Amino acid sequence: MTSDIDNLFDIIIVGAGAVGCAVARELSRYNLKIAVLEKESDVAAGTSGRNSAVVHAGFNNKPGSLMAKLCVEGNEGFESICRELDVPYKKTGKLIVAFEESDFAGIDRLIENGRKNGVKGLEFVDAGVVKRLEPHVGGIGAMLSPNTAITNPFIYTVALAENAAVNGAVFYFNTEVRGISRQDRLFRVRAGDTFFRGRYIVNSAGLYSDRISSMAGEKGYKVYPCRGEYFILDKRTSQYLNMPVYPVPRPGLGGLGVHLTPTVEGNILIGPSAEYIKTKCDYSSTKKVMDRLFKEARELLPPLSMRHIIRSYTGIRSKLVGPKTGGFGDFVIEESEAVPGLINLVGIESPGLTSSVPISRMVRDIIANREDITPKSSFISVRKGIVPFRELTIEQKEELIKEYPDYGEVVCRCEGITKKEVLDAINNPLGVATLSGIKYRARPMMGRCQGGYCLTRIVDILNNEKGLPPEEITLRGKESKLFTGKVK
Amino acid sequence: MDDSREIVCIVCPNGCRMNVVINHDNNKVEMVENALCEKGKAYARDEIQCPKRSLTSTVKVIDGVLPLVSVRSDKPLPKEKIREAAVELRKIELQAPIIYHQVIVSNLLGTGANIIATKEVSKR
Amino acid sequence: MLIKKDIIIVGAGPAGLAAAIEAKKRGRDGILVLERELSAGGILNQCIHDGFGLIRFNEALTGPEYARRYIDEAKALGIEIVTNVMVQDISRDKTVTAVSPDGIKTYKAEAVILAMGCRERTRGAICIPGTRPSGVFTAGVAQNLVNLKNIMVGKRIVILGSGDIGLIMARRLTLEGAKVLAVVEKLPYSSGLQRNITQCLDDFEIPLLLSHTVTKIEGHERVKGVTIARVDEKGNSIRGTSRKFECDTLILSVGLIPENEVSLNAGIVIDETTGGARVDENLQTSVPGIFACGNVLQVHDLVDYVSAEGEQAAKAAVEFIKGRGEAASDITVRAGSGIRYVLPQSISSGRDITFSMRVTNPCKNKTIIFKDGDTVLKKRTFKALNPAEMVRIDLKAGELRGVLNMEVFIDG
Repeated sequence: MTSDIDNLFDIIIVGAGAVGCAVARELSRYNLKIAVLEKESDVAAGTSGRNSAVVHAGFNNKPGSLMAKLCVEGNEGFESICRELDVPYKKTGKLIVAFEESDFAGIDRLIENGRKNGVKGLEFVDAGVVKRLEPHVGGIGAMLSPNTAITNPFIYTVALAENAAVNGAVFYFNTEVRGISRQDRLFRVRAGDTFFRGRYIVNSAGLYSDRISSMAGEKGYKVYPCRGEYFILDKRTSQYLNMPVYPVPRPGLGGLGVHLTPTVEGNILIGPSAEYIKTKCDYSSTKKVMDRLFKEARELLPPLSMRHIIRSYTGIRSKLVGPKTGGFGDFVIEESEAVPGLINLVGIESPGLTSSVPISRMVRDIIANREDITPKSSFISVRKGIVPFRELTIEQKEELIKEYPDYGEVVCRCEGITKKEVLDAINNPLGVATLSGIKYRARPMMGRCQGGYCLTRIVDILNNEKGLPPEEITLRGKESKLFTGKVK
Repeated sequence: MDDSREIVCIVCPNGCRMNVVINHDNNKVEMVENALCEKGKAYARDEIQCPKRSLTSTVKVIDGVLPLVSVRSDKPLPKEKIREAAVELRKIELQAPIIYHQVIVSNLLGTGANIIATKEVSKR
Repeated sequence: MLIKKDIIIVGAGPAGLAAAIEAKKRGRDGILVLERELSAGGILNQCIHDGFGLIRFNEALTGPEYARRYIDEAKALGIEIVTNVMVQDISRDKTVTAVSPDGIKTYKAEAVILAMGCRERTRGAICIPGTRPSGVFTAGVAQNLVNLKNIMVGKRIVILGSGDIGLIMARRLTLEGAKVLAVVEKLPYSSGLQRNITQCLDDFEIPLLLSHTVTKIEGHERVKGVTIARVDEKGNSIRGTSRKFECDTLILSVGLIPENEVSLNAGIVIDETTGGARVDENLQTSVPGIFACGNVLQVHDLVDYVSAEGEQAAKAAVEFIKGRGEAASDITVRAGSGIRYVLPQSISSGRDITFSMRVTNPCKNKTIIFKDGDTVLKKRTFKALNPAEMVRIDLKAGELRGVLNMEVFIDG
């Protein structure tokens, strides 16, 4: 156990989701000592890593709301952040498709709403244009949003975190905050098996942000968990879909309706459903929703078949509006009046990913309004990710294999991931040592065989190259051990 | 008094469903019907009088390129000894190299069956 | 640089090895076998149980022993087998691109034989509801870990699916000290061989629950339990039949899928039912000069027939290179009532052909009929037919003379 004298920080960020990591990165531009406390074994373990991976344009949100403002701002800046941090990004555009005449009113409403929010380029397109843009999707017309994009939210969060870490932020995983008290002018945070002290707490704890706020002394928030289930489809389906396709939203829905989204890697996502649940950690998929998702997806895109499904997953929205109210609330981004120094980021649901950098700038401004913060001259703004070998030309591949023969050993057959990429993921700058950490960083085990081919190879690599015995490998930390011991 | 029982042959993939007529008084097999071959008939007789099974498993190897060597019994063991035999194999540690068909244990548990390696494992 | 070869064989498992040996014996020298593993043998290396080779060698060999016979023969014949190399692309003109730590090599072959085997259907593909903890394995992965890597996968185990690998693993894990609580099968019959049910389940008093499935997986970190329920004829779970098993592991043996990703790049037409290439009686795919054999063509239950198929493909590939064997195979073979699929999917007349097929449902005392229009070409009656067991029926050239359009079905 370290004494809390050693753990003295200017800023303690609770939660290493997209928002927490964006805040860590933004504040790491300044001469501030930053700690990020995360209860799970990796970044983006909650809502940030479990969504549709869409960079929204901002036409859905209520004019005048923070959501609308920050989403539009976030959309405009997203591409440059991705370039700076080597994150996959693709400006696909998006269609909101009308299937019956009555949907046209909804489209008009969205275009008008978008105009009020300052979203550029929204237009109604007729069935002919829909057919040209998405030949496999039916519909009698649609709204086209040219600035909607897709990204990889896990890599995005990893990139923010790695860049923050390079610039001095310290990440503590498996470190759940259990209590917060004030001591002199500092917060004293009991987390994991130790204490941290800091001048500010940035509460970016997502689903648990109400609990963290309450621990710090500001009660009154209640976060309602609202689960969304998804399917991931085989890359073979990429031929059927070019951009996210959504139905025209029906009023009162707690989400955007079941939609289809291509991923930057070439899969299709189906989902999400929207269902208020009792506990914040129930990531179960359910038979009822699975059946419905697929049926609705096929209505949008008839060529889809059950055979295309390779995996399901769920995410949980942290909503400030309960099931009785429905719809969307607004982001809370403010310093608590009752507890000075506590900066609450509560109710960050969609479009939280898109808005994460603008949110982080608001946090910076809150701090800068209270004290002078000075930029670091040593700040490094760029970060390089793992080289996706599969996407290179033959000449580039040959060059790389000459330099690193491990690029010549394909570990994951479905996704074409090499041993070098797996090693790079194992040796990640944040020191995450779980199987899912490797999976989300380098993509082995994410293809159609779901690790049938590569799991045993990754286990060997961890054992031979990192000295991690198989019986100590976990899926995602804690008690998630992969194996129960040796046979003999 | 005679009694008849259906036994599914495990000798080969044909999986013959044999009808076995048993003399109840001395527990002897009187007749085997529906077997495609003599091996099947022999299996059926054994299955009533003294059922036997082959054992395949692995044995731990020290300093080998692989941590285990696959092994089998060179003839079937009494069925009731299979579990005990598997436990016995768990106690053994072999030093690499292991040669193909090397005898690992002779006369396992007094059954008369030897345990032999079904592959080679070279020294690391 | 383009390296020229007569025949490139993708995969050094039982199909690829048999093909290489046969091609060599038929006088071809420029044979290259590309294998992604560190050693040849394919899936046989992890199948340490016995029962292989009963038909070919009249012996019950273990997987490694069966593989060794072919590896030894291939070595003796001087066949070039390159390991630790992954074929990334095969084009229509039979250019094969492969990557290894030595770099990327491009080959040009006169003929290509696909022998990549199959992969396992996963939890994601069959949409089991519940959480996604550690402790869910496919049977083949569990077999690899337990038999080759000395890694134990669990202590209290439920197995979903009664495929042969699942049955074999039930025994294997029991012998290594695990408690296998049950094998759960959605269908009203097992999808594994009867002999495996006897010696892997019955011997160890492991219950086989037919017409049951796993309806929920529980546990946030490691599997804590699974719920199973009885299913109706449509496969939907029946209310009130649920029960929970507390376990730390779920093993899936729910089907195998031919591994045809590289074949698709070559533009090879895949059969929706088998998941393998559509072939003619030479096992030639829709791309001339590319042949398929073994589990990449159709999932087999006996390795003996995999080897036989490898030899058949090699024979045809050698003929193809000689400029023969290109007879137009324009007679279609259709799977009719009671038959799930039949191979080859198209034939030419004038030669002996072995047809392999699987039935849709288990049945007893039924006749499989080959028919051309109203003409019955052949009939064979079986005491029992089972979807788990591939049926092979030979037709002589004489029986196929003048055939225009063939249908294979079960009478009645």
